[in-house]
Amino acid sequence: MRKTNTVSNLALQRLRYNKSRTLLTGIAILFTTMLLMAIGTTGVAMLDMNRQIYSQSDYHASFNGLTPGQVQTLSSHIRVEALSTAEVFADIINGKMNGVLTYTEVLRDDRTDAADSNPHAQTLTEGHYPEAENEICSSPIFFRRVGADPVVGGKVTLSFRVNGKGEILTKEFIISGLEPDVEIAEGIDDSRLMWAARVSKALLQEYADAGLYEAEPNATLRVYGENELSFDEMEERILSVAADIGLDEMYVNPNKEYLSAVTEPDTDTIAVITVICLIVILFSSLVIYSIYYVGVITDVQEIGKLKALGASKRQIAGMFYRQGAIVSAIAIPVGLLIGFLLPYLLFPLTLWAYRSGSAINSYSRDAAEAVVGQIHMFSLPVLLAAAAASLATVFLSLQKPIRMAKKVSPAEAIRYQENTADKKSRTGHHTVRVSTLTFANLARNKRRTAVTILTMGLSCVLFICVSAVLSSVSAEDLARRNIPKGDFCISLEYAHYEDKEYPENNLENLVQKNYFSDAFLSQLLSIEGVEKVERAPGIILSSTDMPSLMYEDKSRQPLSYFTREDVAELSAYLQQGSIDYDRMTANNEIICTHVYSFEQYGLSIGDTFSLTLHDGSREIPFTATLTALTQPDSNFPLLIMTEDTWKSLGLTCDPTTDIYLYADDEHYDSVKEALFNIVSENEHFTMYAMDVEIMIGRSGIDLTRNPIYLLLILITVISFINLINTMITSIVTRKKELGILQALGLSDKQLVRMLSGEGLVFTASTLLISLTLGNFFGYLFYKWAKQEHFMSISRYHYPLWESIGLALVLLFGQLLITLMISRKMKKESLIERIRNQE
Amino acid sequence: MNNQTDIILQTETLCKYYGSGDNLVKAVDHIDLQIRQGEFVSIVGKSGSGKSTLLHMLGGLDNPTSGKVFIDGENIASFKEEKLSKIRRRKIGFIFQAYNLIPALNVWENIVLPLGLDNKPLDEAFLEDIIATLGLTEKKHSLPNTLSGGQQQRCAIARAIAVKPSLILADEPTGNLDTKTGDEVMALLKTSAKKYGQTLVVITHNEEIAQMADRTIMLADGRILSDGISPVRKKEAQEVTSHA
Repeated sequence: MRKTNTVSNLALQRLRYNKSRTLLTGIAILFTTMLLMAIGTTGVAMLDMNRQIYSQSDYHASFNGLTPGQVQTLSSHIRVEALSTAEVFADIINGKMNGVLTYTEVLRDDRTDAADSNPHAQTLTEGHYPEAENEICSSPIFFRRVGADPVVGGKVTLSFRVNGKGEILTKEFIISGLEPDVEIAEGIDDSRLMWAARVSKALLQEYADAGLYEAEPNATLRVYGENELSFDEMEERILSVAADIGLDEMYVNPNKEYLSAVTEPDTDTIAVITVICLIVILFSSLVIYSIYYVGVITDVQEIGKLKALGASKRQIAGMFYRQGAIVSAIAIPVGLLIGFLLPYLLFPLTLWAYRSGSAINSYSRDAAEAVVGQIHMFSLPVLLAAAAASLATVFLSLQKPIRMAKKVSPAEAIRYQENTADKKSRTGHHTVRVSTLTFANLARNKRRTAVTILTMGLSCVLFICVSAVLSSVSAEDLARRNIPKGDFCISLEYAHYEDKEYPENNLENLVQKNYFSDAFLSQLLSIEGVEKVERAPGIILSSTDMPSLMYEDKSRQPLSYFTREDVAELSAYLQQGSIDYDRMTANNEIICTHVYSFEQYGLSIGDTFSLTLHDGSREIPFTATLTALTQPDSNFPLLIMTEDTWKSLGLTCDPTTDIYLYADDEHYDSVKEALFNIVSENEHFTMYAMDVEIMIGRSGIDLTRNPIYLLLILITVISFINLINTMITSIVTRKKELGILQALGLSDKQLVRMLSGEGLVFTASTLLISLTLGNFFGYLFYKWAKQEHFMSISRYHYPLWESIGLALVLLFGQLLITLMISRKMKKESLIERIRNQE
Repeated sequence: MNNQTDIILQTETLCKYYGSGDNLVKAVDHIDLQIRQGEFVSIVGKSGSGKSTLLHMLGGLDNPTSGKVFIDGENIASFKEEKLSKIRRRKIGFIFQAYNLIPALNVWENIVLPLGLDNKPLDEAFLEDIIATLGLTEKKHSLPNTLSGGQQQRCAIARAIAVKPSLILADEPTGNLDTKTGDEVMALLKTSAKKYGQTLVVITHNEEIAQMADRTIMLADGRILSDGISPVRKKEAQEVTSHA
């Protein structure tokens, strides 16, 4: 019993004696625990939020394009637990507003707790759902948008096209109820929003009876077995229900997010979190290991004395374990607390920031808003796991240093100076300068120097590497998808299918109006501040009578051209087939430029299409063979032919659908306003402005990017602790030696120069490693991320600011540490330092 | 003999006190002394008599509580750290009991270190001469931890002499050495100092060494108990005067 006390006491006293080392170990352990806990807690919060958001749409699948008979069969199907239908009755016609009138109906819900099971279901703040044929309900902002007073009982007149085609009808509705209001961020162009209002079954019935409305309801349904079946089994069951009603698999759309949320509790999220935690553990253990390692090297004499006094290997190991345990006992609980509070406070803020920046996806915005106050974040298993992982990290980090300490021989007790390895002599330098001293010291402790540089270097490599991907996630690149060139884009809106009722919407008719005439372009150019106006390569639409998914439902596909100069870029991103300009010209071959569409439409290389190309009123028969699939950075329409083929078509109409405008910075706002006025005069024009597109892009990017940066910075901070420790240790242990140097005439300035020189070597090597390896792996990581379509990155951006930031932080951090330590040291008189016998 | 310009080192009411009240320790208490250029002075006294404290203050390693230390007529107690370090590397050579070599540097580098810190060109012939005098020629590239105590102290002496300081301060230079080595080292130190015309102040417990000095100052409780020409020197001096 006494023996144990002695060892514990020794451990405690050593912690007190080596204050700075204890503090740094404590901080490293605290940070590790904090990070693990914060990551775990964020994970729990994300899972919970997803679960809540998905539970708002808790259906298992949607069946599209059903007939009323199929709906009937479904509603009595034995496997179906709940069924509701949603149909888009009509498209709202109101300038550039994108809006629809919908009708939804719950046909069946066998869940006993149906009322409670969906706590977030959108309820009305006032009034009731539409019942009479002239009733309508939506959120107040919808009514304000269409120029009506949002009050229950108020009147609103809307124009619409039933089924999105046919004649435009106008009808007066009475507001029967109001949904919760939503806010829309300023500056978002109307054309980027989607509006919806609910109408009654009576209205649909009326039009259906008159033969004006053809119901094509989409059903959303739940099948029995949610809590018993796996993801695959659920999907199988859904497909079997579809087969029972004679619905093709193509029209079945399983709600994969919800299904995976309930069947496989979020394996993806858990896997990502586990990987991140493992990275944190890797770096932390390196740092904690390095602190203990340096500690043992420094304390060889003391350990030798203990051995000489009769301490056994077991007792030495016990002493180190107890030191680790005592520090952990304080650092881990604090880390757990901060690690929980950090996401607890930051998570709602992040969501809030996301909400205020995004009004595009109003569904997830509302959903996030509804649940943000109720997210469940605390998880005991996560807390225990974080604590256990931290303890394990400390335990593992101690192994090697303890083995080293066990090997220390009692003879070390009488050696007066730090062991200089086994070297007996050194070639040395003819003269000794401050720099000689710097390098002599670094060389004396090669392993310590290497371990420090390695830990610092690795975490900085990680930082630069991830930065390379994150800096390539660019709001501007995202914006460039709509505005490939210049500051603004005016785009001609046209029907993507053949519009029989309003043929003026068809591109072949629009081009005959020659909207983008030279006169119009001159008009734009005369606006003050407009520097240049440029036509985008033209587009013609193609259609076919052949059966093809791509041309299904009379849809038309845009066709354009590529030049000989484009071949290099197209070939660089070639996925399938081959590109040969001359061969392609000779054989009317075309390229598909979207991998996703290629797969979705079930295309394959070698497919031949008998197309009709629409050049104004002229129809050009064109047989094309698909010979390549590529996914270039630049925007190309889905299908492209060679420029020579394009020319050979002899187009009679100007096929321009987009024009790009360049404005000088000074007049950007006034140009924007002037363009807006011009564009609003023509219902076929849509305008894209760079600032708006960037804002839309940024809101999405920040949500992902900022937390990753925060994580990286924290990992780098942990590694920085290691540098601090190495520098403090290297100075504190040499206090006497430094004192002697000063006694021999080393001035304070020279001392600081010598010490910061040592620090600079760490900094420079770390930077060298991170900027070479970091950039190399960063580029590879970018290539991979691009292939995986991570945050739609398309272009490599060198992480310049991140690199400069890292260099500055390392440089100044290191100088600051040096100055602080040498200032602290100066408080002791020279002779006290020389006498110092640690 | 009493020519003031000859004085290289002088103190005026030099005091160093530690603690306060009942715990006040007067390590050095009102010491006035003058040491002439080229003199070999030994300072003796029991443990705690204030020898080391006095020596440290003479070399500017420790700050006095009150009083002044003049080196070449300049009061170093008023100097800022930058100027003090210049004085230390140009005018003073230190030799410690524990040798205090820089472990990361080899023998040659240790010796030329103070010169390097001062950006002085190396007087190679002079340095080789010192190294040869001290018998370190074979050990120039050795690291300190591979040397014996005597070799380490000889290296420390070489380091102290290398800058051609006017003053060499040695704190028990033979304290860690066996008698034979100690005598050798001391003889080398004395010879070198004489050869290069340096003033030598040595703290020692060793009666023999004290007797080798021109002058012996005995301290007790921080004060000078006696200050006189050592008996051997007295005799020599008398012989010289009578001869004259």
